[in-house]
Amino acid sequence: MSTENSMKKETHHLRRMATIWVILSVAADLLFMFWVAPHVPPGTMTDTARANQFDFNVLFLMAFPVLIGVWVYMGYAIVNWSAKRAGVPEPVGGPAARGNLKAQVSWIVVTSIVVLFLAGFGTVALINGNGSGGGEGPNPVWMPAGSAKAETAALTSSASWTPGSNQVLVVQVIGQQWKFTYRYPQFGGFESPQLILPNNTEIAFNVTSLDVIHSFWAYQLSVKADANPQQNNVAYTKTAQLGNFTVRCSELCGIWHGSMYNYGKVVSQSNFQNWATTTEAANAANTKNLPPFAWTYVPDANGAAGGYYIDGNVTPYSQVETYGAKQPAS
Amino acid sequence: MTDMYNKSKGYHETPEEIEYELRAKVGSVWSGGRLFIGMYTFLLASLAFAYFYLRTANNGLLWRPHNVTAPTAFGWSIFALEALTAVLAIYGQWRLRKGVVLDWQVAVWTGVLTSLVALFLQIWETTTLPFFPGSSGYASTFIGWIVINIASLVVGAYWLETTVARSMRMRKELGGDSPELSSAATARLFRANVASMTYFWGFTALSGALFLALFYIL
Amino acid sequence: MTISAERPTEVAASSVTPPVQSGRVGWTQRPGWMSQHLGTAIVLGIVGYLFGHWLGHEITGDYAYIQNSGQNSSANFFALLFGVVGWLLGIGALNYPVAKLFGREPNQEPTVEGWSKYFRYTLDHKVVGLQYVVGVLLFMFTGGLLAMAIRAELLNPTTHLFGPGTYIEIVSEHGTIMMMMATSIIVGPLGNYFVPLMIGSRKMAFPRIEAFSFWIFVAGYAVIFSALPYGGFPTGWTGYAPLQTQAGPGMISYLFGFAVIGMGMMAAGFNIAVTIINNRAPGMTWSRVPIFVWSILATAALLTLATPTLFAAGLFGILDKTAQTAFYVSEHGGSSYLWENLFWFFGHPEVYIMALPGFGIVAEILPVFTRKPLFAYKVAASGMIGVALLSFFVWQHHLFQSGINPDMRPLFMLTTELISIPTGFIFLVGMGTLYRAKIRFEIPMLFAMALFFNFLIGGVTGVFLSDVPVNVTVHGGFFVLSHFHYTIMGGLLFAFMAGLYYWLPKMTGRMMNKKLGLWHFWTMFIFFNLTFFPMFIIGLLGQPRRVFTYAKNLQGLNDFSSISAFLLGLSFLLFFANLMYSMYIKPVKAPANPWDSLGLEWQTASPIPEYNFERIPVVMTDPYHYSEVGAPPVADMGTGAPPVVSTTSGSSPA
Repeated sequence: MSTENSMKKETHHLRRMATIWVILSVAADLLFMFWVAPHVPPGTMTDTARANQFDFNVLFLMAFPVLIGVWVYMGYAIVNWSAKRAGVPEPVGGPAARGNLKAQVSWIVVTSIVVLFLAGFGTVALINGNGSGGGEGPNPVWMPAGSAKAETAALTSSASWTPGSNQVLVVQVIGQQWKFTYRYPQFGGFESPQLILPNNTEIAFNVTSLDVIHSFWAYQLSVKADANPQQNNVAYTKTAQLGNFTVRCSELCGIWHGSMYNYGKVVSQSNFQNWATTTEAANAANTKNLPPFAWTYVPDANGAAGGYYIDGNVTPYSQVETYGAKQPAS
Repeated sequence: MTDMYNKSKGYHETPEEIEYELRAKVGSVWSGGRLFIGMYTFLLASLAFAYFYLRTANNGLLWRPHNVTAPTAFGWSIFALEALTAVLAIYGQWRLRKGVVLDWQVAVWTGVLTSLVALFLQIWETTTLPFFPGSSGYASTFIGWIVINIASLVVGAYWLETTVARSMRMRKELGGDSPELSSAATARLFRANVASMTYFWGFTALSGALFLALFYIL
Repeated sequence: MTISAERPTEVAASSVTPPVQSGRVGWTQRPGWMSQHLGTAIVLGIVGYLFGHWLGHEITGDYAYIQNSGQNSSANFFALLFGVVGWLLGIGALNYPVAKLFGREPNQEPTVEGWSKYFRYTLDHKVVGLQYVVGVLLFMFTGGLLAMAIRAELLNPTTHLFGPGTYIEIVSEHGTIMMMMATSIIVGPLGNYFVPLMIGSRKMAFPRIEAFSFWIFVAGYAVIFSALPYGGFPTGWTGYAPLQTQAGPGMISYLFGFAVIGMGMMAAGFNIAVTIINNRAPGMTWSRVPIFVWSILATAALLTLATPTLFAAGLFGILDKTAQTAFYVSEHGGSSYLWENLFWFFGHPEVYIMALPGFGIVAEILPVFTRKPLFAYKVAASGMIGVALLSFFVWQHHLFQSGINPDMRPLFMLTTELISIPTGFIFLVGMGTLYRAKIRFEIPMLFAMALFFNFLIGGVTGVFLSDVPVNVTVHGGFFVLSHFHYTIMGGLLFAFMAGLYYWLPKMTGRMMNKKLGLWHFWTMFIFFNLTFFPMFIIGLLGQPRRVFTYAKNLQGLNDFSSISAFLLGLSFLLFFANLMYSMYIKPVKAPANPWDSLGLEWQTASPIPEYNFERIPVVMTDPYHYSEVGAPPVADMGTGAPPVVSTTSGSSPA
């Protein structure tokens, strides 16, 4: 077989594969865009969810051509290049069989471009999305306007939130084996087993734990932040739709991890205001007995790590209060 | 052709093959010793990481309350003995290369002794600590260092002892008077092993200095 | 001077003194029941366990907190420590280290004939390789049964089969045992068996360390299941810290088990890395080393360098639970993030410990069945090294939502996505090799092709996971679970099967039955995908990992996945049936080189003599010049006529 012939055959193969690939990829992407993309999780309940859904869809739209490209190639190879008979075959593959500089370089260049684009795209989405609903630890880098002020105020007794004021609502999520509870510092710091949120409001979740690591996953809100003992983990989102959502623990936290979930609700701002003030008043007696609002709580001797020492001494060298202590600024 | 293989029991090696495999063996001892030090570096680096991580985090201001320190006299003595052992190993190797086997043996037996004393001191120190293991981050990482240092000393002392014990059984090869004896296979392997061992002790002394600084000085 | 230049006449065995000889017969090799073998190892292991338990209680039993809690982690630790020491003593691993203290030379080990050598501390890498085959299959079978139990529980959205404690115990044991198995599944059996054969060596550099790595691997199996009488451990295979501190004495089995397996991993990686560096035959230059050996070298480097971190992390955990330190206790100056960092600093290289050997096997097999040279050999080798290097810099992508410093997130997103470039090289190599090939669809080739299908899905979903905004939804859910099953099971396990079907004829001299093999392949491939693909959707719809209750609307998908999983389990039984049938019930003698491979391991005699090669081969080319006219033979085996082509490597034997 002459080189000229083989070159001709080569382009022929590649052109056929490319044609199939383009057709299938475009079809898959179009089908996905119009049928599936609007329903891709985590939905559109918050602006974080919407942004993350867009991110998801971009990745899907890029993934299909990659998947289809490899599959088309493999399928084409299986159909066209399988040995029909046993025995040592003719020399195959042509002169470039051990490597083809053009193919290798273009492969590396293309994958690098795709990968660098995705990393850049992800970074932009992460920063624009104020951390995209992920837990940013005690010292967030990307935060919505006004959140720092609201969180500083939350530790004082004068913190407040009023509908229509464009204020950030601070919610503390406390994980413990095996439930989540929520404190609202802008409403006297009452603690509730229900997570009720106002619509069209920037929310700052401050997630912490009393015992082991949990993970606060508000699925439809597209918020996920690990609840660590002794550490505050902040995540932001902005509600955009009324409705119910699910909260699940997504970090293994012991035997009842599987049933650590509850449901939350996004309601209108005035309804939220009603609910919060009513609950604050109803819970006032209980709230007095709670430790003062703080970002983290050290459990007492009955807590998870309590009774740790042989001599029964819980925190022998502690320079801070053992309960309700504020995490020192780091 | 296959029958021949099945019938042959044991080696029928040509001198070239024996030489080739010996070189591979010497190379293995050489590179194995270095790779072992590499592994040990990652182990110690994990401890150093724990030290710096907890120190930086200072959770609940409990990294090192009241600036508690492990008994400094112990720390310096243990380090001095480790350094001495390393120096003895290096000196011994130098004398061995000169062909003075007796000096090597005396140096390394002394090294075995000093490393065992260091081991003893390290264990003794554990009983005299002025803090409870879980009282602070510093206390915890220090207990971790004690365990890892005990392991290093046991490994190092074992390595010293086995080489010197081997040398006493192969006086003839190490005699150095006749060149063909000291170029015997066992002697060449032995010297590769000694070189790796000396490196390990140098490494132990260096890491000992680092952790001495971390735990007792800083 | 090269060996190849002129082969000296053979010297009679008696006139050549082997470099090391003392004439004493080792205990491991004595005949009869008085020697050391698996039986003595089990007996001494049990004795050591009981002694250690007693000792631990003697030392720590008086502390009030132990008396009050009724749990003594220290006793469990001592029990396991002495149990493992007793096991090693019983198998004979400590004979030489102790003899060495008295300056003794290694024993001249005569060969034990017959099957009993498989139950002993053996220095022949081929025996160790076969021992490893049985060992990893034992791990895999046990872990697989646990997986069946998990899927049975998930047939129903509420708890119905096991209590939550039992369920978590099963999940944790499944994850841990599978992870332990997967680190060794290719390096252990196929790496130990074939690396010396492929590089033209007669033995491993450190055969005792190699045997040690296997027997401590088996001890790890016993250690990890020793948690069961203590209620197991509730932490999953990741063992996150405050939960770890809170857990009962079963946790010690996890921590110590990983330390024990870690020692095995370090020993295996150390021995193989040193062997590849030093024991290559003359002419086996770095550009001629088979690609499988490259992958094993990269894996061995990760095993030796990453595992010490796991070892240290386990040590700190054991100290927390026995000596009452506070490494992972935030309340007392420790940090739970310390465990997360140390664990994943090991854990992510570990992921590539599991992926790389699979790539190696597939790249090794493709040329044989396409009858083409390996495409872009250097790209493949550098890709493996690149993956190994990069894998040390990606660990924080497991901690994106953990509350760790957020400013590091873009960096780790970047490194994680960068690692898909060298990973993608394997697809370039595979597709290039397939181009205009003459593909023979033997069973190994089918498994190799399946890896490309599965690993592609696993890899693409990995990019999803590395994207922080998307990670918010998929982290800690069934999506990530499905992702790593696609990479580890769909990649590594399929490659392992490809390797077994490919090399078992050489290892045992018997062919695997092709018909049963086809059934096995197709059931495994189909039901693997039917089991795990729905899990992507389940994860996207919001089901977290390791739960026994889930949303009612996900029952259909979960049941579908469970039933497929049971059928996947049956497919493994089909594999065992094939193994039994082809090896024992109706063995068919394998031809010397059933696949017409050029690999050096196929050039030596069958069955392979104990010393592998009659003469040390002199390597002339890489083993991939299929269908290349006029290519020189792979190696001068030194036994027959002089090689056809007179060019020699020219490299010196050193």
